[in-house]
Amino acid sequence: MPVEFEQSELDDLTAVDRPWQTVVWNDPVNLMSYVTFVFQQYFGFSKKKAEKKMLEVHQDGRSIVSSGSREEMERDVQAMHEYGLWATLEKSDG
Amino acid sequence: MAEGFEPRRRGGALATFSGFEADLLRSLASQLIELLRNEAAVPTTEIDPFEALLDFSGPTTAPEDPVLARLFPPADREDDDAAGEFRRYTETDLRSGKAGNAGLLIDALEEAGLPGEVDEPGLFIDVELSPEEAMAWLKCFTDMRLALATRLGIEDDDEDFWDTLPDEDPRSHVHDIYDWLGFLQETLVRALSR
Repeated sequence: MPVEFEQSELDDLTAVDRPWQTVVWNDPVNLMSYVTFVFQQYFGFSKKKAEKKMLEVHQDGRSIVSSGSREEMERDVQAMHEYGLWATLEKSDG
Repeated sequence: MAEGFEPRRRGGALATFSGFEADLLRSLASQLIELLRNEAAVPTTEIDPFEALLDFSGPTTAPEDPVLARLFPPADREDDDAAGEFRRYTETDLRSGKAGNAGLLIDALEEAGLPGEVDEPGLFIDVELSPEEAMAWLKCFTDMRLALATRLGIEDDDEDFWDTLPDEDPRSHVHDIYDWLGFLQETLVRALSR
């Protein structure tokens, strides 16, 4: 008999497993095509998802691009800085 | 050179540059390397001189130069201590990575036939990049553009200002170079996305 979780329980689990997140901020320099390309290349996003995240950065000023442990997020932030994107890490809202 | 980069088989890219353009790229890449090595990435906190000599870890405070500050932004906006720790463990690697990309760019130009001094007027060179080299160039274009944008004070939606700047304003020429690097990067992204 399959065990089914309520969505709220799943959200709780996710919050526990993924307490940190990587945020990419808008800047006046980086090209939309480049930001999309970096998201595809580094995070393995589909073109569609990468474009959606890029537009969030462009229009809302920021986008959450990954979540996980502190160490994982530090790796992602460092990689974004390698690509010249402005990224920070922060605690997930949970 | 109106075409920028074109895709190559097996994922690389090819571009033709005049001697002047290639020399300009080399000069920008050299300046970037110079800047990355200039303000040493060492801890700036007051510690014992003996300890300082044995400390190979990175700095904990943001670089003073605005370009370096943009290339190595704080990783944590709310927690300065955490941002300092992150910087301590990453900035040295990030600096050498960026300098390494700029070095690869210079090597590729010189291997493609760019002489030490460009005095031949009709010189053109074909630069063919492997996928790995192309990634290094993409990152280096970004760092060059971030550097120029910081020096120029580029902001969101300020295109009108730059478009109407008189030609005799020295910033106008630098902005043209900034735009040209953007064009090259755009064509390189497109070439790699095929």
